Amino acid sequence: MDDTTPPPPPEEQTPPPPPPASHTGSPTDFLKGVVGKRVIVRLTSGVDYRGVLSCLDGYMNIALEQTEEHVNGVVTNRYGDAFIRGNNVLYISAAETI
Amino acid sequence: MESSSIQEPFDLIRLSLSERVFVKLRGDRELTGILHAYDGHMNLIMSDVEETIMIVDVVDGAPAGQPATVNVAKRKMDMLFVRGDGVILVSPPVTNIEPDCQYTFRQMYCL
Repeated sequence: MDDTTPPPPPEEQTPPPPPPASHTGSPTDFLKGVVGKRVIVRLTSGVDYRGVLSCLDGYMNIALEQTEEHVNGVVTNRYGDAFIRGNNVLYISAAETI
Repeated sequence: MESSSIQEPFDLIRLSLSERVFVKLRGDRELTGILHAYDGHMNLIMSDVEETIMIVDVVDGAPAGQPATVNVAKRKMDMLFVRGDGVILVSPPVTNIEPDCQYTFRQMYCL
């Protein structure tokens, strides 16, 4: 799995993409767009973390601010800041308009 | 951005060195202790650690959505190496919440 080579970068003859619109673009564009915004991070365990996305890295490690932990829709914990290890992340959902 | 000193998630951990942190682990375990070192795997070295283990007993006839009986076991360790792959979440202590954040929480409660 680790030795699969990533696809080559896009060819240069394709024109550069237009300025990012809110509902188009690559996953990376989405992630860039949600930094600083309220998000819902769901872990594979089903636990949700709602907070302001401070930053993330290539492993999808996440730093959240003003974080609420939701289990079955119930707030179970609050953290001023939280680091979430990326391997636990199922998805990141924008909780406000990007 | 709100917190200018944080450019990548690991900065949050770096800023928590020598502080008491909360660590949520796989297997319904939580730790609080003083963070001494970490690496890119999130392997952690902690001291003065208290581990809390949640043992959930499913009770027959308990209403759906009602949490089952949770037995909590605690133990203390002077010095601990935590293997990174067990880590779910690391948070600085609650006392480190900035007043602004607490104010924001209050606003959220009022909404």
